Amino acid sequence: MQNRVAIGELVLAAFFVALGLMWVGAAIRMPLWEGFAPQSGFMPLWYGILLVGLTVAVLINLFRQKDDAKAEDPIGKPLIVLATFAAGIAGLEPMGFSPAVFLMLLFMFAFIERLPIISSVLVSAATTAVLFLIFRTWLNVGLPVGPLGI
Amino acid sequence: MGPFADLMQGFAAAATPTNLMMCFAGVFLGQIIGVLPGIGPSAAIALLLPLTYGSSPTGAIIMFAGLYYGAQYGGTLTSVLINVPGESSSVMTAIDGYKMAQQGRGGVALGIAAIGSFIAGTFGTLGLMLLAPPLSSIALAFGPPEYCMLVLLGLTALAAVGGSVMKGLAAGVAGLLLGTVGVDPQVGVPRFYFDQTWLLDGVDFIVLTVALFGIGEVLASCTTAGADPILNVGRVLPNREEWSQSWKAILRGTGIGFIIGCLPAAGATIATFVSYIVEKKVAKDPSRFGKGAIEGVAGPESSNNAASAGAMVPMFALGIPGSNTTAVMLGALIMFGLRPGPEMFTTNSQLVWAVIASMYIGNVILLVLNLPMAGLFARLLQVRYSWIYPPILAICLAGVISHANNVEDAWLMLAFGVIGWLMKRYDWPAAPMILGLVLGPLFENTLRQSLTLSHGSGMIFLSRPIALVLLLIALLAVFAPPLIEMVKQRRLPASA
Repeated sequence: MQNRVAIGELVLAAFFVALGLMWVGAAIRMPLWEGFAPQSGFMPLWYGILLVGLTVAVLINLFRQKDDAKAEDPIGKPLIVLATFAAGIAGLEPMGFSPAVFLMLLFMFAFIERLPIISSVLVSAATTAVLFLIFRTWLNVGLPVGPLGI
Repeated sequence: MGPFADLMQGFAAAATPTNLMMCFAGVFLGQIIGVLPGIGPSAAIALLLPLTYGSSPTGAIIMFAGLYYGAQYGGTLTSVLINVPGESSSVMTAIDGYKMAQQGRGGVALGIAAIGSFIAGTFGTLGLMLLAPPLSSIALAFGPPEYCMLVLLGLTALAAVGGSVMKGLAAGVAGLLLGTVGVDPQVGVPRFYFDQTWLLDGVDFIVLTVALFGIGEVLASCTTAGADPILNVGRVLPNREEWSQSWKAILRGTGIGFIIGCLPAAGATIATFVSYIVEKKVAKDPSRFGKGAIEGVAGPESSNNAASAGAMVPMFALGIPGSNTTAVMLGALIMFGLRPGPEMFTTNSQLVWAVIASMYIGNVILLVLNLPMAGLFARLLQVRYSWIYPPILAICLAGVISHANNVEDAWLMLAFGVIGWLMKRYDWPAAPMILGLVLGPLFENTLRQSLTLSHGSGMIFLSRPIALVLLLIALLAVFAPPLIEMVKQRRLPASA
């Protein structure tokens, strides 16, 4: 048995603490109470304090727990998927929705998952076409358009 | 005339070929809308509104009502099959529904959702028919302090039913905090928008939900994407044991959904959260929840459909919207030259009763469509995950961008997707965070209104009976589990 807190969970807790502190810092510069009623900064201030307090309590609990070190899932593949997704988003405005999504899907199918290239191209094209038909043609939603007009 | 004679007249009006077609179109479109993240029933009705110019108001409202309750079921499909709730009212379904699907019971999860939705929708409509006037007056007894305590109860109780109360509460508070981004709803002052004008509208529910559930799930599951898929999607109809576990949950969900749906602004989302909490509390073995408990699907699914019927009570009886969707429907009624309010039942009784009758018909259509289709949809699970998760990411992207036509929202989704992944990895519940974001503005508004009413005194929550009861239950929800655990641990060494 050992006392071990995963780095990922510390990162998550740090994010919540930072978020809470950011809200406290901004809220105290806003009006908190005027006359009988709470003002714009009142609730965010309390939310920030509560979030920091609760997250610190969770952390204390985690450090006090004596638990077997659990085997964690690898993070390499999720990070590659995340980077590809980010690249897809980055490509939306310069390329347009459909080309960016097609390339993102193709990369995921053919290179990350190593699926057959022809099937990957077909499924990527079909998924992109269906999304275009539903959102752009039927629902008339404005999706980012690139030089190809799609 | 009594309600049953009115209803018969309503059936006569609803059963015309045109109105039947409108009902079918509404239910069918609603299912599609429910499946797509980003487009909710209120947006869909707003988009369809121009198409109904010149048509009969009865047919149009029948279609809109069908779209509303059809969407409640549509959201279930994606919740169960790919863990992406299409609607906020399907968030709770994803918790146990997706686990059931992973265990090869996706067919039963969709089947019980269809049956529960049918029963709840039918009873909800019956309730709408019989109880509209008295329930409307109860709804009016809910002032800001009662709403405030109702939201507090929802948040604390949901946090308390998760694995760790502290983590659940922290996630709920994080959601409340994110709910303050944008413009202060009371005084119109911008806050926490970090000089980014696109944040003035706040963090959208769909961005956070798609990120925490959709992206988070994909990132957590893609490591095993090459594994063999679930070959057995199972039956659609529940067996005797599953039925005996579910029927009470369906009835409880129906009651909870209908009553909460009647409360203006509360809506189907709170109903599903309350229903899930109740099911977990009354279960003999609460540890099954979150691991594929069928009651965790049956209760919330029944409650969201019953809430759609309940939301029509204040709309028809008082002219007050019970949800965003009924707010748009009210707009449609006004567009057709009708005056929503108490006189609707007398001056436009034919329309009101035709819509009520069409809801019975629509619920039958939903059941007939979904029982055979549930197995078909569940077959999606037989496809290897490597082929599924990239299109899920593409749907999430399209859904989020389509909501506000805003690429910045996609970046926000990506960032929260990472948070969702970490939360899933380390067992931090995501549902309280979403509930906090959804209910944050209502909570803040009602708390500030209550304190203004009481000249800054918190005693207002103790002096009003309904608010006090809700507050006591909220406190019990937080403090009872650790106290019970402490008592148990003290008894153990004594008995050892």
